[in-house]
Amino acid sequence: MFLNPWSIALTLCGLLALALGAVASRTALRVLRFWDLGSDSNRQISLEGEIWLSSTLMAYGLGFQIVTLFLFVLAADQFAQAIAGAMCATGSLLASPYGVPTLLVKLCGLFFYGFWLLLHQLDIRSEHYPLVRSKYLYLLLLIPFLVLDVSLQTLYIAGLKPDIITSCCGVVFGSTAAGESNLLGGSSRHGLLIAFSLASLSLAGMATILLRRWRPRLAWSYSLGWLCFLPLALVVITTVVSSYVYAMPYHKCPFCLLKPEYHYFGLPLYGSLLLAGFFGMSAAPTGLVRSKPGLARVVDSYQRLAVKGSLLLLVIFAGLSWYHFLKYLLVGGEG
Amino acid sequence: MAKRGIEKQLNILDYALSSLWRRRTKNLSILLVFSAVIFLVASFLMVSKALSDRAGQLLVAAPEITVQRMSAGRQEAIPLAHGERLQGIFGIRRVVPRVWGYYFDEVTGANFTVLGVDPLQMPGGDGLATALARGRLPEEGEAGMVVVGQGVVETLALENRQLFSLFRPDLSLKTLTVSGEFAKETGIMTADLLLMHPAEARDLFLIAPGFATDLCISVANSREIETIARKIAELLPDCRVLTRPQIQKTYQVVFGWRSGFASICLLSAVAAFIILAWDKASGLAPEERREIAILKVLGWETADVLAVRFWEACLVSGLAFLLGMLSAFAHVLFFSAFLFRPILLGWSVLAPGLSLVPALALGDFLLLAAFTVLPYLAATVIPAWRSATVPADSALGG
Repeated sequence: MFLNPWSIALTLCGLLALALGAVASRTALRVLRFWDLGSDSNRQISLEGEIWLSSTLMAYGLGFQIVTLFLFVLAADQFAQAIAGAMCATGSLLASPYGVPTLLVKLCGLFFYGFWLLLHQLDIRSEHYPLVRSKYLYLLLLIPFLVLDVSLQTLYIAGLKPDIITSCCGVVFGSTAAGESNLLGGSSRHGLLIAFSLASLSLAGMATILLRRWRPRLAWSYSLGWLCFLPLALVVITTVVSSYVYAMPYHKCPFCLLKPEYHYFGLPLYGSLLLAGFFGMSAAPTGLVRSKPGLARVVDSYQRLAVKGSLLLLVIFAGLSWYHFLKYLLVGGEG
Repeated sequence: MAKRGIEKQLNILDYALSSLWRRRTKNLSILLVFSAVIFLVASFLMVSKALSDRAGQLLVAAPEITVQRMSAGRQEAIPLAHGERLQGIFGIRRVVPRVWGYYFDEVTGANFTVLGVDPLQMPGGDGLATALARGRLPEEGEAGMVVVGQGVVETLALENRQLFSLFRPDLSLKTLTVSGEFAKETGIMTADLLLMHPAEARDLFLIAPGFATDLCISVANSREIETIARKIAELLPDCRVLTRPQIQKTYQVVFGWRSGFASICLLSAVAAFIILAWDKASGLAPEERREIAILKVLGWETADVLAVRFWEACLVSGLAFLLGMLSAFAHVLFFSAFLFRPILLGWSVLAPGLSLVPALALGDFLLLAAFTVLPYLAATVIPAWRSATVPADSALGG
């Protein structure tokens, strides 16, 4: 289904990102071979100019790819109108075997790309460009991932046929679904809620301690905690939070939250969660480059900012996810 | 760190604004061309969305299942006996025969839609009376009674006349009496409509008694539509069975396909503009080189100059986006998208006086930005780098 404005926009963004990445990776190879900060040869001077170009190109390209995650989910929602049997993004993602893998790759990409952008920002804060080599090594590792991202997306769009019968979210995430029923079903809902509350409380507690005094080990468990909290939060949104937002017990869908009918509730919800996750997960690993010349102060202030930011966003996220539930308990249904 | 960073970016933004203003003729020309490109793409997407939304709204009132008899690949009148055979299928609430067609009025050159249906039998048909501005619906056994839309009243200049005549296919005259008029507000569906009893419509079109144009089937439970449609198709192999969801999806696919096709055509306009933007940004004037070299001497870094260029591109594209969107909105809302209507509607005539409401969701803005703003940003990045890496000593040389 290429002849659709959404498919064309997705493909266009993917191609742009690939083209920018390809130009950047040429410089990356040269940097890995010839970079020598002490030298004042012509090659080194031209390389010092080139790294600005390639980093900017890469930053743009990765930024575009991050935009395509949102574009992709919205596009899947639009495709649902044309695919028989699909009622929302869930149906159209399941209409092709590449749908869900594309979404997962794009979701992981959000963090991988984000970490590169963070590394780049740290690097240019120091006069010595201490991270140039590691940054470009990471860049070269990202290129295959970028190719995977764009090709999965293309395969997904190419495989969509408007006449495929697929299931809609009512069937997939409903309590009758087999296999994942233990994870996404109604039986473990209380357990999930308890785990969710405990996890958010302990993350908030760790963040408060870290803000008082920085402890590297605690920082690592904080970052790992976020790594585990993200999938848990996504499951809780799907199975518990969503049906309270829709005010329908059997409507459990993570995508319909992004629709105008529900006042784009999903945007702040997912936005705060993903950004908080990014800050939380990056807090400890940035400590690894702290010993590089000129980075100690920059890394310290970033780490504080990351913990502060993730704590604030966690509070916002928790508030948003409890809001409809508490409203239901207090007011009783759609008031 | 964050506070100082924001302050720095604000200062850079300030500088970018003044730098844009200094080269206002060049930037204004880019802004205008960019807005025009965004206007084209945006109005196209808005029209196709408004049309598919409108189709969706109209189809809500369509019957759940429509059965049409096919012969040699063409639709033919269906015998009412077919409807009786369907009564045995569990889950069907009612089968209503419908006689309808188009009447071409040679005097005025207008095409009327003639619909012969018993309002009392249609589900929700009793609500039809609320759509009337005056008069009442025709009742069974009343010969020659008809309810007309406002467009028909105007075209035939009926005013206070109650009687008018239409030609049968054999050119004999059929006299009709106006029993009521549809309200203006329902014009989108009723402007060209003549609603009468099926027997009257058969008489007008000379269709044999015991036949109808198609059968409308209402289903008690909407989840059973597909199953019942399959059973009908098995029972009546010479018939085409259309379900409402199927028709809705088909509309979406057709509109999506058409707007996708047009988007590809418009991409060439976007590409042309991108080349223009690239070209404009690449030509580094001597005074521009000096400016950047002086900034470098003053202590600016490459990153800062790149940030200035980034903000400039963002400002230009943001302003162009706003201008283009607003003009596209006006084009669709006030001028009914006269530029693109023929492409999307084709030759088929929808109800006259169709007004389109461009209802945009947040996602559509993102879609438009992906089409226009992102390629622009990508095109200006290499020229921006070229200007940012001007060495500081080039100011001293000149």
